[in-house]
Amino acid sequence: MESIQHFFMTSPFDADSVRHALWLIIALPALGALINGVFGRWLGRANSNLIATAAVGGSFVLALLTFWHINDWNQVFTTPFDTRPIRYAVGMDHGTWFSAGDFIVHFGLRVDHLSGTLLLVITGVGTLIHLYSTEYMSHDAGYWRYFAYLNLFVAMMLTLVMADNLLLLFVGWEGVGLCSYLLIGFWYSDPAKAWAGRKAFITNRVGDFAFLIATFLTCLVMWSFVKQANVDNFGNVTAQQAFATGLREKGPVDFSGLEALARALPVDPGHAPTGTPAVTLQTEIAQGPLSGITYGTVLTAILLLFLLGAAGKSAQLPLYVWLPDAMAGPTPVSALIHAATMVTAGVYLFCRMSFLLVLSPTAMAFVAVVGALTALFAAVIAFAQDDIKKVLAYSTVSQLGFMFMAVGVGAFWAAILHLVTHAFFKACLFLGAGSVMHGNADETDIKKLGGVKRKMKVTYVTFTIATAAITGAIPLSGFFSKDAILHAVHGTTLAGHEAITHLVWILGLLAAAGTAFYMTRVWFLTFQGDRAADARIPEEKVHESGWAMTVPLVLLAALSVLAIGYGIPLMSAGEHGREPVMENFLRPIFATAESITSAQATVAVSHEGSLAFSWILAFVIAWVATGAAIFAYTRFFPSRAGQPAPAFAKRFQTWTRDKFYVDELYDLVIIKPIRGLASLLFRVVDAVVIDTLAVRGTAWVTARVGSVLRYFQTGDTQSYAAVMALALLGGVAWALVQVLK
Amino acid sequence: MTETSNWLLNVVIFLPLLFAGLVAFLPSGERTLVRGTTFVGMLLSALASVWLYLDFVPNGPEFQFETRWHWIDALGISYHIGVDGLAVSLILLTGFLGPMVVLASWGTVQNRVKEFHLSLLVLQTAMLGALSSLDIILFYVFWEAMLIPMYLLIGVWGSEDRVMAAVKFFLYTLVGSFLMLVAILAIYFISQPNAGARSFDLATIYNALVGANRELSACLAAGGENCHLSPVAATLKTWGPYLFLAFALAFAIKVPMWPVHTWLPDAHVQAPMAGSIILAGVMLKMGTFGFWRFAFPLFPANGREFQILLAVLAVIGIVYGALMCLAQRDIKKLIAYSSVSHLGFCMLGMLAMSKEGATGSAYQMLNHGVSTGALFLLFGLLYDRGHTRLMADYGGVAKVMPVFAAFFLIITFSSIAVPGTNGFVGEFLVLLGTFKSDFLKYGFGVFAATAVILGAAYMLWMVQRVFFGEPSHREAHHLSDLNAREIVTALPFVVLVLVMGLMPQPFLERIEPASARFVARATLGSPHAPADAARLLRMEVADLPPAESAPKIAALPAAPTPVPAPSPAALQAVEIPPTVRPVETPVRRPIERRFPQLQRVQPSPSARQP
Amino acid sequence: MVPITHYLVLAAVLFMIGMFGVMVRRNALVVFMCVELMLNAANLTFLAFARQRGDDLGHVNAFFVIAVAAAEAAIGLAVVIAIFRSRGSVQIQDIRTMKH
Repeated sequence: MESIQHFFMTSPFDADSVRHALWLIIALPALGALINGVFGRWLGRANSNLIATAAVGGSFVLALLTFWHINDWNQVFTTPFDTRPIRYAVGMDHGTWFSAGDFIVHFGLRVDHLSGTLLLVITGVGTLIHLYSTEYMSHDAGYWRYFAYLNLFVAMMLTLVMADNLLLLFVGWEGVGLCSYLLIGFWYSDPAKAWAGRKAFITNRVGDFAFLIATFLTCLVMWSFVKQANVDNFGNVTAQQAFATGLREKGPVDFSGLEALARALPVDPGHAPTGTPAVTLQTEIAQGPLSGITYGTVLTAILLLFLLGAAGKSAQLPLYVWLPDAMAGPTPVSALIHAATMVTAGVYLFCRMSFLLVLSPTAMAFVAVVGALTALFAAVIAFAQDDIKKVLAYSTVSQLGFMFMAVGVGAFWAAILHLVTHAFFKACLFLGAGSVMHGNADETDIKKLGGVKRKMKVTYVTFTIATAAITGAIPLSGFFSKDAILHAVHGTTLAGHEAITHLVWILGLLAAAGTAFYMTRVWFLTFQGDRAADARIPEEKVHESGWAMTVPLVLLAALSVLAIGYGIPLMSAGEHGREPVMENFLRPIFATAESITSAQATVAVSHEGSLAFSWILAFVIAWVATGAAIFAYTRFFPSRAGQPAPAFAKRFQTWTRDKFYVDELYDLVIIKPIRGLASLLFRVVDAVVIDTLAVRGTAWVTARVGSVLRYFQTGDTQSYAAVMALALLGGVAWALVQVLK
Repeated sequence: MTETSNWLLNVVIFLPLLFAGLVAFLPSGERTLVRGTTFVGMLLSALASVWLYLDFVPNGPEFQFETRWHWIDALGISYHIGVDGLAVSLILLTGFLGPMVVLASWGTVQNRVKEFHLSLLVLQTAMLGALSSLDIILFYVFWEAMLIPMYLLIGVWGSEDRVMAAVKFFLYTLVGSFLMLVAILAIYFISQPNAGARSFDLATIYNALVGANRELSACLAAGGENCHLSPVAATLKTWGPYLFLAFALAFAIKVPMWPVHTWLPDAHVQAPMAGSIILAGVMLKMGTFGFWRFAFPLFPANGREFQILLAVLAVIGIVYGALMCLAQRDIKKLIAYSSVSHLGFCMLGMLAMSKEGATGSAYQMLNHGVSTGALFLLFGLLYDRGHTRLMADYGGVAKVMPVFAAFFLIITFSSIAVPGTNGFVGEFLVLLGTFKSDFLKYGFGVFAATAVILGAAYMLWMVQRVFFGEPSHREAHHLSDLNAREIVTALPFVVLVLVMGLMPQPFLERIEPASARFVARATLGSPHAPADAARLLRMEVADLPPAESAPKIAALPAAPTPVPAPSPAALQAVEIPPTVRPVETPVRRPIERRFPQLQRVQPSPSARQP
Repeated sequence: MVPITHYLVLAAVLFMIGMFGVMVRRNALVVFMCVELMLNAANLTFLAFARQRGDDLGHVNAFFVIAVAAAEAAIGLAVVIAIFRSRGSVQIQDIRTMKH
């Protein structure tokens, strides 16, 4: 045991070679995208598949090696912001991206336990999905374009998680949105699909708008703080100088800088050993455009704006509307982008900036409530959706809500744990759905399927395992990760918002029950029972998919089971007994957040609640909901097209099926007025007021004056001369009068 | 800077004119020869501008590659050119667009080919000259000279309503220009007491007004009442606002800022592809460049009185332009309105008067030149095939023209500022500068940032209508993809979009010193002026070379006066040399001695004075 | 010695006669002669002032005027002849073509 641990915690490489190879992790898929995008048409299908899959696979291998390296006991990493080295991290700075005035930003990469975990998920799941895609897209003529986009997506996602500053993260952030746009609208000949891509991009842009403003405010806060803070904020002069140096060299958006800011901003006022009081969250900003506003207020505003940004990317209320429509893309894309990786970017963002989030309990409460409401709302909508991918999409929205709940109560590790397990089981579910579609002539309506288990054994088994994982009916990985979240929510109180966590907890339990219900429904209607009468193809023609599709399914199902290991409390945690592996593993990342929490009491974590109690509770809830679903759909709910819903559920069914008319509401309240305003401005202000009245009006007046004056032009030279003479005489007379006066 | 620096700028500016002379002598039937010669001329000028750009020392003196010759000494006008970091960047852009435009219209322009290319060449020289003039009259000459070839380009080679658009363009621009001419003459006279001599040299006038502007800033900051101002400052207090507005109107029309933008959609829609590219790529920047080079440095105190107003107009332009785009059916009109929106960003960054904003503004000028130029180019290529500008007439183009669609998409992403493309760097810096601005509240930044959403909405809407879906018309199936020449034309734009997005530093390096100077000058006398402003205020330029032969009339020395209010000693130092005394004193014989009888009717000149 | 006022009055009278002629006469040739009369009135004024000031400036101007008048007469007569050829008349009311 000791020697195994020693083996895994000793890097076989020296730090420099790892540092200098970090960029390759991004460059490999990017190169793959370039080759496939430019030369794909001439490469041939096999070469194209090989290049794309190998690029991500190579990236996975590199990520593994990097991961090994950052587990080294001795691996440390320093930033100019801090005199103390950071353990278990490796970083590389590739120089300035751009700078102007005080602003500077670097091409800085960083891999630590948090980004390392995500690296493995992205490249690992990414490789499997590339492999799956080689068969799934085997009949599509645009395969090379598809692989180019998919590779580009992986490169962008890796940029997102490896960036060591907000702006480079934003490159990945928008980059994945861009690839998502391209991939959702992959079959662009269908205007509805192209429209879905556009909807996704523009909804994301709303979030990006907030993200950008938050970034600007962050810069302003950093610049104000460095001017205003005194030694007491930092503890000693060296640290203060280090902060100023770091800000000058690395710029205001570097994560290490933000961490240093969070450490230096105490909540407690009146802490002034050396005369002038230190800057606290209650201090007003002294100068600049934000002067007069306290640091705490600005920080809360920043975090709420980031929340809106994250809500756009991670499909939370109020910006979740794009994700269900995003299912227009090929199914592997839904699995990779809209389940496993891209949509978790918002969760990642808040975990990256955990130290800032814990400074503002208000923002945390918002995050938690948004997460909880989304989780429940999406779960309810999923009840009545008949499209298998739509159900999974709403399920993703709902699960992301769980992650936001965890983030909101400061249980960052639980959010990441759920992120990882969700990546496994949800990717497995989506790929399973893809496999079902593949074998059933692209049928997506679960009411027109049924009995699929008899012909698609592998798909059935893997789908069942993944369903069990997400519902928690059997204690697989999803059970532990979701329970970790609910347990954390239950045991935490946010300063100043004591009632919030109780509310969130109840909403979370309801959402968990809902999850079990709708997932069982999908599983039941698809795989169990008789073949639907109006199925697209008869049961005999249903066929299992090839190995390239089933191998990823099996592997992902296996991972959904194996990920249990992360969620079980195995590691010693001092006085509190044992803690889950993931919590222990991510401790170096969230240490700052934890120390701020405990020092400033923004979040109170009680270790009273028994883990066993919440396990039992979760188990009971899962089984009740599962049983209810099976009971309901075998007895009296419509399981096949044409069967009417019972009267008591009809109203509810209509509302949930039509997604509570949120899309229509947005259309009515936002899109239509903007369009109307645009055409009003164009037709009235631009065409009439400015162009006709002002511009042509001036021309018209000039022309009219000219045509009136024309009548004075008689052509008679002598009368001209007479006028001139009279004018001259008049002038002379006037001059004479002036002189004589 | 090397030995070449003395003539390099002149070469860049006048090579196109030289080739215009060459083209003028070619037989007009030889179309390929005319095109080839023009292309070579443009290409050489472009290469020279690249050389110029690389030779420019980022942290060197403000103006480099200066040339100053005698021109009209009697009026204090000299031939004075030189470039700073902004001008050299815009010259690079202009030089780059030149050969591209010729290549792009190779297949499209078929009538009056020779005249077309003559116009292009003359226009190129005029634009390059306007960017590098350091004498205000020289600038004005080039500025007006730009109008004529562009007027011809729109009016002769445009589409159906070309004459209306050309006249509208011409008159609109001329209104501003004439007011600017009046203002130029006014500052010529106003600056004279401090400058020591009348001169149209920008640096002389600017340096002469610095002291007065500082006094005026202090006075306005104190409420503007009961100030003890020097005569020049007092004049500026009374007339400065009108003079600033005259300059501002001329430049605002060119930018174009809301609400004087309505010439732009018409001009763009009617102009041929080459005209649109140049109009969007370079000529609009003349407006922002004018604000940067003339309006704000010459009238900082008066300019700041209108700063908020202009910033409001800029934000309105950003949002309004974006909303306009959502209401368009015509693709060219949409791109034109998107220019209104993008140029609003340039203005906003400048008006923020922070280094980040100014740098971003300058960078955004380059970006807009590249990306909107490319949009017009690509649309022009599509128009050649489809012969319609309406979105509804296209659809499914991506299927038949995949390479074209790929190019168009990349440029679209640059236009909506996706990170990694050039547009992002500019827009980010502009917005950051606006948020950081000491003069503008953060509301400006928030409203401007909504263009992030609206921009994506209208551009992607257009892309979807044109490229996605099934081809709506039968003809759409027969559109051919880009040929090799067209790919060669479009590829440099795409490469530039990515290079400028991922490696903006070499470009920003040259812009930054210029923006630091701009901010120092524009915030002169304000409490928010940057700490290092004093060092950057003075405009250092070369003196006029001594005249070769004894000057017949007055070779007025363009000696700059010291920056603060000139001391008497300093004025002594710039006293006019004895050889060039300009006042003619006719030798007058005493009349009385010869005609004593006339003494009665001869009033003495002094007696008539009062 | 004749005082300068006399010269000036004479010049003014001549000028007024010329101007009146230009305005009312209909024959282009007569109008022409009236113009010459006005020019010569100006000449007289120049010379009177030159005499009074005692320098050559007025003389120079007078010579200029004479030269210009000669040129004008030549061109003007040519124009009148051309008009006569094309229209057969030198009456001013017949050549009123510069009309809106």
